Amino acid sequence: MRQEQEAWFRPYVRQYGWRFVVIIALGLLTVFAASSLMFTSGFLISKSALRPENILLVYVPVVLVRTFGISRSVLHYVERLVGHDAVLRILSKMRVRLYRILEPQALFIRSRFRTGDVLGALADDIEYLQNVYLRTVFPTIIAIVMGGIVTAVLGWYDMGFAGLVGLYIGILVFVLPGISLWLTHKRHKEMKQQRSGLYRKLTDAVLGMSDWMISGRSAQFMASYEAEEREFARLERGLGRFARWRMFCAQVIVGIMVVSMAYWSGQQAADEHLAVTLIAAFTLVVFPLMDAFLPVSEAIEKIPQYQDSLDRLNQMQASDLAGTELSDLPSVASLPVGHDAHIVLKDVRYSYQAEAGNVVSLEAKNSTWTLDDIQLDLPQGKKVAIIGRSGAGKSTLLKLVQGALLPSSGIVQINGVEAHRYGDGIASVVSVLNQSPHLFDTTVANNIRLGRRDASDEEIAAVARQVKLDRLIDSLPAGYATPMHETGQRFSGGERQRVALARVLLQNTPVVILDEPTVGLDPRTERDLLKTIFHTMDGKSLLWITHHLVGVEQMDEIIFMEHGRIVMRGTHAALMEQEPRYRNLYQLDRPQLRMN
Amino acid sequence: MGKDLFGFKGVKPVFAMTAVLTLVQSVSIILLATWLAEVISALFAGQPLQEQFGKMALFLFAFLVRQLCSVAMQRLAYGFAETTGTDLRQQVMTKLFQLGPRFAKTEGTGNLVTLVLDGISQFRTYVELIIPRMMGTAITPVLIVVYIFMKDQASAVILIVTMPILIAFMILIGLATKKHTDKQFESYRKLSNHFVDSLRGLETLKFLGRSRSHSDSIEQVSDRYRSATMKTLRMAFLSSFALDFFTMLSVASVAVSLGLRLINGEMILETALVVLILAPEYFLPVRMVGSDYHATLKGKEAGQAMQSIIAQEMNTAEASRDVSKGYQWTPESILTLSGISVQHEVDGPHSLNDVTFEVSGMQKIGIIGESGAGKSTLIDVLGGFLHPNAGTCTLDGQRLESLQAQGWRKETSYIPQHPYIFNMSLADNVRFYAPDASDERVLEAVTAAGLRDFVASLPSGLHEMIGNGGRQLSGGQEQRVALARAFLNDRSIILLDEPTAHLDIETEYEIKATMRSLFQDKLVFLATHRLHWMPDMDVIVVMDQGRVAEIGTHEQLVAKQGVYYSLIISEGEEVQ
Repeated sequence: MRQEQEAWFRPYVRQYGWRFVVIIALGLLTVFAASSLMFTSGFLISKSALRPENILLVYVPVVLVRTFGISRSVLHYVERLVGHDAVLRILSKMRVRLYRILEPQALFIRSRFRTGDVLGALADDIEYLQNVYLRTVFPTIIAIVMGGIVTAVLGWYDMGFAGLVGLYIGILVFVLPGISLWLTHKRHKEMKQQRSGLYRKLTDAVLGMSDWMISGRSAQFMASYEAEEREFARLERGLGRFARWRMFCAQVIVGIMVVSMAYWSGQQAADEHLAVTLIAAFTLVVFPLMDAFLPVSEAIEKIPQYQDSLDRLNQMQASDLAGTELSDLPSVASLPVGHDAHIVLKDVRYSYQAEAGNVVSLEAKNSTWTLDDIQLDLPQGKKVAIIGRSGAGKSTLLKLVQGALLPSSGIVQINGVEAHRYGDGIASVVSVLNQSPHLFDTTVANNIRLGRRDASDEEIAAVARQVKLDRLIDSLPAGYATPMHETGQRFSGGERQRVALARVLLQNTPVVILDEPTVGLDPRTERDLLKTIFHTMDGKSLLWITHHLVGVEQMDEIIFMEHGRIVMRGTHAALMEQEPRYRNLYQLDRPQLRMN
Repeated sequence: MGKDLFGFKGVKPVFAMTAVLTLVQSVSIILLATWLAEVISALFAGQPLQEQFGKMALFLFAFLVRQLCSVAMQRLAYGFAETTGTDLRQQVMTKLFQLGPRFAKTEGTGNLVTLVLDGISQFRTYVELIIPRMMGTAITPVLIVVYIFMKDQASAVILIVTMPILIAFMILIGLATKKHTDKQFESYRKLSNHFVDSLRGLETLKFLGRSRSHSDSIEQVSDRYRSATMKTLRMAFLSSFALDFFTMLSVASVAVSLGLRLINGEMILETALVVLILAPEYFLPVRMVGSDYHATLKGKEAGQAMQSIIAQEMNTAEASRDVSKGYQWTPESILTLSGISVQHEVDGPHSLNDVTFEVSGMQKIGIIGESGAGKSTLIDVLGGFLHPNAGTCTLDGQRLESLQAQGWRKETSYIPQHPYIFNMSLADNVRFYAPDASDERVLEAVTAAGLRDFVASLPSGLHEMIGNGGRQLSGGQEQRVALARAFLNDRSIILLDEPTAHLDIETEYEIKATMRSLFQDKLVFLATHRLHWMPDMDVIVVMDQGRVAEIGTHEQLVAKQGVYYSLIISEGEEVQ
């Protein structure tokens, strides 16, 4: 755990070490300039009050006062810029790192984290972690170093007093932050939990609104929600109160420090250890100096929140270790463009538990396999439809064909080579059109071009014509260069599928997997899309998971799966003739004029 | 700035109290400066240390008063922000429930939830900061500069002259930055979205064989994002630079001018010290406004977004005549819709246009038509989620503007395409409409809905947590939970909106049988694309472009060879 946490910090500290040093130095100089302004000003007016004969005697402080005045603002400006620049560099590295962790699990993320927007949350976590540096690390280090310098300088005059000031600063930089971290971290955690509770509850309310309304329970919901909000507000109020009084305590220390400083410098001057002109200088410098120490408590209090983001990222990493041994294999095989592919599955069994290593106990208990006794022969050009309930093992079957999973027993081969050995090269053999293909936030043309990077504009227009999108795209304000997100309202579900289909056509693989591409479309759109799909897939092998029977007449084989086994298979004509169950189902999809 | 605040309840006393506290605070600042200056100048003059203890104590006292004032102000503002925020949230939530699910859908669930949760806390921060800041900038600098003016006119002039220059520069730079960011907005949005977009599209990238090489593009885009951000920040930070620069320059000038006049013997040290201590305090309130600017702006915008929801026009029946509390739909009941029209936008197309039909008793009504024909809108009107723009409903002789009456709602069950599964146990989900139902009755309903085996397979049985935080259900199981709800509460009217289209055909086949048993002795409205339901229906309402195209039984409509007939024909064709 410890080690993993450091992995999100240490490499960057090492890599950007010198930048960090510059940022901290600039921060120190900023405080120094602001303090020096007050210090020299105090000195200047004290010196002037002695009414020197020659104005040149105060010339140096006059210049210094102006210099410090200007340089403080310049330094602060530069410090902020350099700081943000470094942090953005780190952000970029962290993003790549997160991406590389997630990439191998790409096909499993959806099934593993079905709840909410995990990916969005992870991206936010990374954004959030960059604040560690700007809000916590840098200010704290600057405060500690500054405290050391101040104590050292005073120690040069008077060790005893330096000790006292060191104590004051220590309270501000170590004691108060320590106490507040200790007192509030539990409360922060509690609040975090409550907040996610509120979030869930509110989502329940908005998504289930019609149920609340019809059941007449909306008032009841409001009451219980408000009660939770009140509880949350109570916690928050407590933290607010604590923060206010903590600030007050810190300010009291500042006040005491001013008085101590005046007392000490007065005494030193009386004993003639210190020039009288420095009394004002030493006293006034306390105010700007303290600005470096006051924010530390708040900075430290944030630590539990970073912890949370860090935990989530680490969890991601842990799950990464669990299921990706396959993707580490080098891809040894790929298929040249235009080559045929022959997919064979023989006696395939698969169990997710078996993957974890307890094949034996599984056999002994005779538990269910996710897939059992699967035979499939898919020579180039054959078209197969797969039908089954959710949980019947259809998705697992696809993952085996894609080489993302290894069969527990039996073989999955493409042209005689085991599917998983293709690695990333599998994309040259199999392309996928699924239920919700992602359309990226770029132009329409670029979205299609994802199918093949070097595709020319003419080729893109050609596939667009094939999928019957050419007219629609031409009608867009910027044609093919229209940003996708602006087409959100203009492109319907069926049209979005067509964009993805164009992409698949460009990819031009011998095998295409259709993973329920028409769910959620109305019958007419479904039929139109299927027509286009079948039309453009001529000569390709098809593995089509479907929830309806519309269009199955076109398939060479129809496979029914149940509990991981194939329970019915054959051509449409054969099944219609032999299987009453199939006939019943088919009738649902094919309304007839005389149904009883 | 902050004008919108004055609409909130109880804002005036808060402002008044804050003003008083700011006044006390400003006076204490002046006093602490004076006393500290006296101490230092006495020490400078070589007076004994012991004589200064009184003044030191006074300084400390004034210093504490100043800090206490700020604690009190923060507390006051916090309390006010909390009540105002709670108020606003309650208004928004109440409004949301009035506007109904259709509004929530168009606004986006995520947006609404974020607005209510994060938006409220941003708004509270805004309220919390803005009140003390307004009073601080209005009172403190004026008092201080007047005091300085009395002590030393030259310094006061320097300070007074600086302030407008400083503010002018801040505004100019702010405007320039805004122009710059507006110009860059589109490319900036794209760059900052790129990463999340990539993560969401990871699966697709993998299918395309692009996922591995894409990490380079992430790095490149992140770097471009960095340079774009830095360009903006260089400008944005300029405004706080200007603040700093003029403040510091002004303080330095004051110090130098004080020094020169001291040399000339035109003033004494004590006065000079007071002015020097007060000079930074003069600028402090403005600088705080500058540093809180972004936090307040965000909160203000969130507040406006919520106000605009509250101000949403809606054509609710002004507490329309309710049907009597214990209203019951009986086999003799009659509901007539006449001339019902719905327009979502004022000049937009009609989603429903002059819909008129009558249903009675425990009929089964199928509502059919292509997408966009108005099926769902009709169900929304029948369920009382929508108030029609025109037309009337007559329920057992009673004329109603809409069916938004509680009495009617209490008689209906509603089953949408994707029933919402709450973050509760399976049992509580099933008894959502009847929270008092016993476990036995829940189990009966679950059995009737065909979930018995599923429940038996769950580790905690009926009390297994389901929904987003718990066990995930398949589409068919979700639908069965909704059916169990309907079985349990046994209301006489059932509304279904495309309940089976997304299910695999075997599940659909089985669930159809369960639904048929639920439909017995109930008034059923079933909107669907799936024609196989129609022979089970007593009446078929065929919708076309918001109008009722045909009404009749399956046999009648087939014989008529109209819209319904052509629908059947077109779906009977083979896909080729």
